[in-house]
Amino acid sequence: MINPFQPELARIVDIKKETYDTTTYTFAFAKPTVQAEFGFLPGQFNMITLFGIGEAPISISSDPDERDTFQHTIRHVGNLTNALNRLQIGDTVGIRGAYGTGWPMDLLTGKNVLIIAGGIGLAPLRPVITQIFQRREDFDRVEVLYGARSPGDMLFTDQYEIWAQRLGVKLTVDVVPRGEQWLHQVGVVTKLLAVMDSVPENTVALTCGPEIMMKFVVRDLLSMGFEPEQIYVSLERRMSCGVKKCGKCQIGPKFTCRDGPVFAYAELLTLPELELGGVGR
Amino acid sequence: MAMARSVGTLASLALLPKTDLKGLVERLMGEFTVVGPVPKGKEYVFSPIQSAGDLALDYGTTILPPKKVLHQPFEVLFSFHETEGICEAREPERKQILFGLHACDVYAIQILDRAYTLEYPDPYYGIKRQNTLIIGLNCHQVGPTCFCQSMGTGPGMRQGYDLLLTDLGDQYLVEVGSSSGEALAAALQLFPAPRVMLVEKEKRLDEVRRKFHKRLQTTGLHELLEDNFRHPVWEQLMHQCLACGSCTMVCPTCFCYNVVDKLDLGLKSGKRQREWDSCMLLEYAQVALGHNFRKDRDARIKQRVYHKLVYYEPQFSTIGCVGCGRCISACVKKIDFTETIAILRGE
Repeated sequence: MINPFQPELARIVDIKKETYDTTTYTFAFAKPTVQAEFGFLPGQFNMITLFGIGEAPISISSDPDERDTFQHTIRHVGNLTNALNRLQIGDTVGIRGAYGTGWPMDLLTGKNVLIIAGGIGLAPLRPVITQIFQRREDFDRVEVLYGARSPGDMLFTDQYEIWAQRLGVKLTVDVVPRGEQWLHQVGVVTKLLAVMDSVPENTVALTCGPEIMMKFVVRDLLSMGFEPEQIYVSLERRMSCGVKKCGKCQIGPKFTCRDGPVFAYAELLTLPELELGGVGR
Repeated sequence: MAMARSVGTLASLALLPKTDLKGLVERLMGEFTVVGPVPKGKEYVFSPIQSAGDLALDYGTTILPPKKVLHQPFEVLFSFHETEGICEAREPERKQILFGLHACDVYAIQILDRAYTLEYPDPYYGIKRQNTLIIGLNCHQVGPTCFCQSMGTGPGMRQGYDLLLTDLGDQYLVEVGSSSGEALAAALQLFPAPRVMLVEKEKRLDEVRRKFHKRLQTTGLHELLEDNFRHPVWEQLMHQCLACGSCTMVCPTCFCYNVVDKLDLGLKSGKRQREWDSCMLLEYAQVALGHNFRKDRDARIKQRVYHKLVYYEPQFSTIGCVGCGRCISACVKKIDFTETIAILRGE
């Protein structure tokens, strides 16, 4: 019987510091056959193991067409992610996946795409952006709205100009520290909704960020005329398995690890618990 | 619920004089680890028996359900070593018989089968389950917290057993529920019984059916709960409940667990272990940076009750409560969710 709980060994082949607390790690499975068979959808996650520390679910942040390696962009805020911060190129971790639903890429073809990310929430959306960038003619208007606490918290800063060649990019930060130069918006990410070019017609909105941010993004999109079926969110939950066994990621009858982490907002409205300001019961 | 292991039609009936039970159990112990109800203080627990005399087949219920031998409270998933990598050092599992299980507990195992062996089958549970035969025992008494009759899971066992015993006084009626059970019955050379003995069995069960005091009205239960997610009763319960998790620990259908890595003293090796977890505990839904999706106790109480009575159905096509009553008797604050449902019904 296949054991879904046993990770495969993966080596860190590159480390790139994104911000003071966030790092992008490039991994390759130690066994070439495992790496060759590994594929994923934008928005899926892996369970990453540090032996002796534990295991945590982390979104994949690289493009699925890169088959030799894959990346995770990790904010060092928990037990496992802080321990990861001490690893170096050549060190080994355990990885199993990919798990979860991923973003509805099939639905996006021929549509306008509106991507709204906050902080580390840009990581699971980067594969969507790079996929769209490469197949730009398959989509209509595409716009990325990205907000972070300060300019120093922004991820993938060297990518914005490249993305802007083929799609709209709008940036905002909550605060600009004294003395720093900032040429974009100031304020929470929902402020960008007021100045964006996107309209609800024929548009699919994808959002990921802190729960509170997504709550306000969804509220504002709904008030602008987006339907719940047009809005997709990626949820964070505690997970100890990734394969519908440990039970912790449940929201109503949904397992976030399997039925999510990407959900249509319309699905969340069917759940009894109040999610993202949903109706509840 | 589909019959996972039974043969569909009643293959055969047999009679087992009670005086022969000891010999039968001893023969089983030659080939199997026999796990059955044994006394512990004033209560009973499921435990591997050392002799047939250990069995207390007149038990009411046990502290923990037989789940504990299939989904263990602590279980090593694998060990790991700095240089040798991951080692899955699982002992070959000995065949075991769960002996004397009541209808509620057998039904609960079928629910666990759904949670653990359908999508992404769990190998640790799966191997133990494959090596397990179930000899059920129909109840002849009703405990003060029993409500299996309301949940449709008892008192008469209908499926999920390999052999089923019904106490008919000085002998047991033995029914075969699966091909494994049929082989076992053949090996044990039981006396064939005429079909009319089933009439006697039903008479005995009818006596049991009249003894239930505790009820949970299940008609329209989903709608009732969905309409009352904001009912004040949940906040009242929040002030009673200690969020200790006892109710989930004793539940035969709860399957949640946490995973921890245990490092050996040399820090070069260790093991990954899973441990039963509980949605009633504060840390269960907490993520990095301290955000907690069920910080309030009433949210956790609702998670347990709604999961059992509403969410299992879309998840596993079955209700999640078998009416064993353990969560009621284990509760320090005597919280009884059948009473909660009655309050929601305005009773």
